[in-house]
Amino acid sequence: MRALPLANILQHKLRSLLTAAGIAVSVCMLITLSSLARGSLFEIADRWESIDADLMLLPRGLRGDSATVAGSQLPDGLADVITARHSDIVEYVVPVFLWQLQLAGQDHMAAGVDAGHWYVLSGRAKVNGRLYDPDGRFARWLDEQILAAPDEGALLDISADQLGDPDHNGLELVIDSRLAGAGRYRLGQTVNTAGYDWTIVGIVPAGGMTRIYMPRRTAQYLAGSGNITRSTLMFIKLIPGVDRGPAARQIAESTRADAVPVADHRDKLTSKFRMMFVYVDTVNVIAMGIAFLFIMVMLYAMVLQRTRDIAILKANGASNAFLLRQVMAESMIITAIGTAGGIVGSFLAAWAIQVFRPLLTVQITIRWIVIAVAIATVGAAASALYPAWRATRVDMVEALTLE
Amino acid sequence: MTHADDYILTAAGLDKSLGRGRARVHVLRGLDLTVRRGEFLAVMGPSGCGKSTLLHVLGLMTPPDAGAISVNGQVVTNDDRQRDILRRKIFGFVFQRFNLLGALSAADNVSISLRVRGAKPDGYVSELFETMGVSDVAARKPSEMSIGQQQRVAVVRALAHRPALVLADEPTGNLDSANSRALLQLFKQINRNNGQTIVMITHSPEAASSADRVMRMQDGQILGQDF
Repeated sequence: MRALPLANILQHKLRSLLTAAGIAVSVCMLITLSSLARGSLFEIADRWESIDADLMLLPRGLRGDSATVAGSQLPDGLADVITARHSDIVEYVVPVFLWQLQLAGQDHMAAGVDAGHWYVLSGRAKVNGRLYDPDGRFARWLDEQILAAPDEGALLDISADQLGDPDHNGLELVIDSRLAGAGRYRLGQTVNTAGYDWTIVGIVPAGGMTRIYMPRRTAQYLAGSGNITRSTLMFIKLIPGVDRGPAARQIAESTRADAVPVADHRDKLTSKFRMMFVYVDTVNVIAMGIAFLFIMVMLYAMVLQRTRDIAILKANGASNAFLLRQVMAESMIITAIGTAGGIVGSFLAAWAIQVFRPLLTVQITIRWIVIAVAIATVGAAASALYPAWRATRVDMVEALTLE
Repeated sequence: MTHADDYILTAAGLDKSLGRGRARVHVLRGLDLTVRRGEFLAVMGPSGCGKSTLLHVLGLMTPPDAGAISVNGQVVTNDDRQRDILRRKIFGFVFQRFNLLGALSAADNVSISLRVRGAKPDGYVSELFETMGVSDVAARKPSEMSIGQQQRVAVVRALAHRPALVLADEPTGNLDSANSRALLQLFKQINRNNGQTIVMITHSPEAASSADRVMRMQDGQILGQDF
């Protein structure tokens, strides 16, 4: 026997399909937007967690906020202070200068890091091509410029041509494979960003701290208004077995800066972009609300249209519970079809986003699928309640005697 | 001597008005009625005399404005659940306009009526389909059947759960003479063999002649009866 709810759905295929499509769009939006917002953000967090360090040293004024920190912040001399004072707990200190650059039509936080420390940020990935300043020529050249300066701390006056001189080229970049794919960049290609021409000398598999790496001195000089004595932050690797908490307190005390676990970056990102989640979740709530209003109107119209059928069932002794079940089941079947369509749609949307916007990350997780299914199920049941209640109030005689 | 148990249905002082305001019509006027267990009763009367309304009130589809009804020895109250249960357990309805569910096949129309009652189709249902000559349309939807076929499927649905009391509103109204005879024969058969009680509203003297008793109605009241 074909169940009545299914038979009703099949009898009104177009209407049922449109309602299911409304739910599918909402479910697809819910999963895709949430997975996109969180995926893109958590992908950054994942990359930071791949850094081979335990602590980050940040200026005290930032209150540990690593999410958007950039530019000249901490004196480079702190690296030596930490190494000297805490040699019993610190294995190494890596100063990094962060600078926002635009490539492939998107902003990226580029990391200026000394070639010798590059592996700390990149997860020790193998470079296709080579690393910038592999033999330290650029670093040596810059030191010479500093020594030639009239006063200690005076601003250097180095032109872009001098920086990019082929003898010691400081305008070299290593980028990750996703950025290379998105911008169709290849080894040896010259790209212009921040007003300078850079040569891509290496491409590294994605997954490291950032998508763009460059010589720290170059970043400091170009982004720090010629001041090459300060970095943005420092990554600190502790000796294995050292407790992070006390070590962070010790280092913070001696440097007058904040030492926070690298793992905190995820929380900082989430906290910084909380409004984005609120926005995305609000859009989702509105979309789901509209979808369920749609299903309620559809079911209500169905009840009004089928008062005769309902009266027939009642005349045959159908209880209110039976009628409620029929309307609920119809709502649930349509919602199940819509939800399934929405889940499939979200995977298609994720695929399309990866193809057309390869730098965005859509991380569809079971969690969001379960959330979407749960919201759809509860919404479908709630939307069906009023129409179902109306079904139980149908006047049998009026419905059965109407032509 | 008769006992209360002898009656499957009793109604006393039934009053019922339909419509609202100035369009309100007083349809049943203090009507009294008793139906014995195992009786085949025909109700005749001119159009608009209140026959169908009487059937709706007796079938507990709408409450009377005044008066009392007992079904199977049980006084009917205003409790919807009690009415649902009695309709489910005691009654079988044949409606004037068939009232089949359009989305379901003939067989599924019968099945859902059984499912509401917690039962499943059995050999008896196949027999009924056979007797009413609608086995070949069991898989069809109402829109794919003739009016006569729809009426016969509606009869199968009404009888499938072996109701103690069958209420039929003009069951032969849409049937040709051969099918009318078959239906009346079936009613007589279930009445004699199974002891099922039948209350049938009809315009047809021929149909009424199959009944044990014929009750005549006019202006919402019983005019008289023939045995």
